[in-house]
Amino acid sequence: MIRNKLVRQTLTVARRDFIATVFTPTFLIFLLAPLIMLSFGAVGGIGAATMASSSADKSRIVAIASPADARALIAADRNLRGLYRRREGPPALVIQSPGGDEAAQARRAFDAKDTDPTAVLYGPLSRPTVLHVPVSVRHADYLARLAEEALRSQRLGGETRLSVATKQAYSAAAGRTSQRGSNQAAFFAVFGLFILTLMLAGQAVGTMAEERSNKVIEVLAAAVPLESVFLGKLLGMFGVAILFVAFWGTIVVNVGQLLPGNFARAFAEVGPAVGPLFALLFFGYFTMAYLLLGSVFLGIGAQASTPREIQMLSLPITIFQVAMFGLSQAAATNPDSGLTRFAEIFPFSSPFAMAARAANKPEIWPHLLALGWQALWVAATIWLGARLFRRGVLQSGSPAFWKRGRTAKTLEAGSHLPA
Amino acid sequence: MGSEWAVRASGLVKRFGDRNVVDGVDVAVPPGTIYGVLGPNGAGKTTTLRMLLGIIEPDEGERTLLDAAHPREASDRVGYLPEERGLYPGMKAFEAIAFMGALRGLDWGTGRKRARLLLEDANLGHAADSKIKKLSKGMAQLVQLLGSVVHDPELLVLDEPFSGLDPVNQERLEAMILAQRARGATILFSTHVMANAERLCDRLTIIAGGKVRFEGTVDEARATLPIRARYMPHHPDAGIRALLPADAQEEGQGWVFTLPPEGIEGVLVKLIDAGYGISGLSIEPARLHDAFVRIVGRDALEAAA
Repeated sequence: MIRNKLVRQTLTVARRDFIATVFTPTFLIFLLAPLIMLSFGAVGGIGAATMASSSADKSRIVAIASPADARALIAADRNLRGLYRRREGPPALVIQSPGGDEAAQARRAFDAKDTDPTAVLYGPLSRPTVLHVPVSVRHADYLARLAEEALRSQRLGGETRLSVATKQAYSAAAGRTSQRGSNQAAFFAVFGLFILTLMLAGQAVGTMAEERSNKVIEVLAAAVPLESVFLGKLLGMFGVAILFVAFWGTIVVNVGQLLPGNFARAFAEVGPAVGPLFALLFFGYFTMAYLLLGSVFLGIGAQASTPREIQMLSLPITIFQVAMFGLSQAAATNPDSGLTRFAEIFPFSSPFAMAARAANKPEIWPHLLALGWQALWVAATIWLGARLFRRGVLQSGSPAFWKRGRTAKTLEAGSHLPA
Repeated sequence: MGSEWAVRASGLVKRFGDRNVVDGVDVAVPPGTIYGVLGPNGAGKTTTLRMLLGIIEPDEGERTLLDAAHPREASDRVGYLPEERGLYPGMKAFEAIAFMGALRGLDWGTGRKRARLLLEDANLGHAADSKIKKLSKGMAQLVQLLGSVVHDPELLVLDEPFSGLDPVNQERLEAMILAQRARGATILFSTHVMANAERLCDRLTIIAGGKVRFEGTVDEARATLPIRARYMPHHPDAGIRALLPADAQEEGQGWVFTLPPEGIEGVLVKLIDAGYGISGLSIEPARLHDAFVRIVGRDALEAAA
């Protein structure tokens, strides 16, 4: 009966917070924030790529060679260039006929107005000289290689192939994931959880400050136990987070299906050790990571009474999150170390480290244990947050020892709940 | 309900730092009555109400609320209007009322229906779909009051309900409080405005400096001061003083004196016989305001102001 009442009160608070957050224009901006981020990224990327390709288009490598050598060089260039991806290949090869002083001609080649030579080869193919701009050593190497190949083919007589290979595609058995794949999955799991909680759990910081500035807190505190208020607020914000994740999750899954097949094959190898259960565990650990970090933020934020104080708190909060991420990342890469055990047991890094474990190791039972352990800590953190709030803000119970003698002054100075 | 007391507390103590904000307060509110907690600013009224409601815990003392050992157990049967009014500014008026009902166990659907009816009854039907931030302060205050009664509570606790309301809305609020009592609810409210308390309270307690200074009915409070008589002679004359009680003082064209314990008849006979006549006579019990000032002490009131 009492439990039902607590659930009902918690859900009433959660429902209010969810609706108050979601049905506002600002929520749309929040929801579409990743899109804005991606657009900026895309615009920047296109700009950078355009600049890179325009300068690459004018780059040239030049060979000053007799017509016979030139034919051999062009053939060698055709063969070697085939090994590169199109964008990664060296600049186009330009052949110049030798005229008098080749060294002077080579130096003059760098002065060309419409092109941008990066390396120039002259002299006999057996002992060529390659001039190059300082950053284009690889282009010089390429020209030297061309001379070598051209000379070899001349000596062998034409383009006779000495070796003919047979190429066959081979893929690992379906469903098998490599050790490297597991580690990658662990990395993605920890990184994904971190990004999600970093973006979403921080929102919990300001929710109690909202109640205090609206002065609704006394209405809530009179009707509902503070623990229910705290948990309700946390669940309300978690609902918002789920909506966010569901929205972007749906988009990502659908975009994934549109990707070419070899992308999907590459991702298939990045497999977690526990198999398909991983999605469920990932969701479980996301919930726990959110509730754990969210309850800490909510508890700390509840002590702040002004937006300025909340801003000041956001830095230590972010540092705390990053520290948990670092700890779990270390755990993901060394699944059997002592640090990993610590990260799995320490409650605030546990969801991250256990998600990494799900990717690395196939046992299921440690996860049930970990989820229970983390839930216990969610309850403990909420209880502690509510207790601190009750004492520090509602001025109930005996004041904490460090506040004795100060409370009366706080009260007179406009504590939220005056006597 | 059938219980002897709707609210009962004994020896409540609350300390903030080294100061006893509430210092051994006893309260006993009979069911179905309007009970006032009166006191100057800073007397400890709000802290007492918060302890009775279980918002904060007393350092000492005991309390029961609607027979529940801990006030929280009875929270669904209680309505509360805090001194610092607070509503979500983005909520519509009828939603805000339904939300407050939902916190106290009323389902949302019923809450919304009742909210519209309550708003209509309070002549605020036009504001039902307005957001709280669009309402005037007085309207928002009435909306919050409706939110505290939407679930038909057995006990309604109002902390300074009249502050910030204009006379018309004060009258409207008094009518609403009386209607709640007529429904069978117990109303416990704090105020430092005597006129409202004088009109409404069945019983009251006066708190000052964290201690109870008086408990009883309005008439009993007034009776702590003697009844005053105001006499206006038909033929004013300096000799009148000799016929009046010793404490008589001239005020304007009349005289004011304490009503003698044996009654006023003897004095009147003497005045008529002496030929001064009677142009006006009123016998006035002390006002609650005067009783309050005497009980609390003028020094304490000036200190609080």
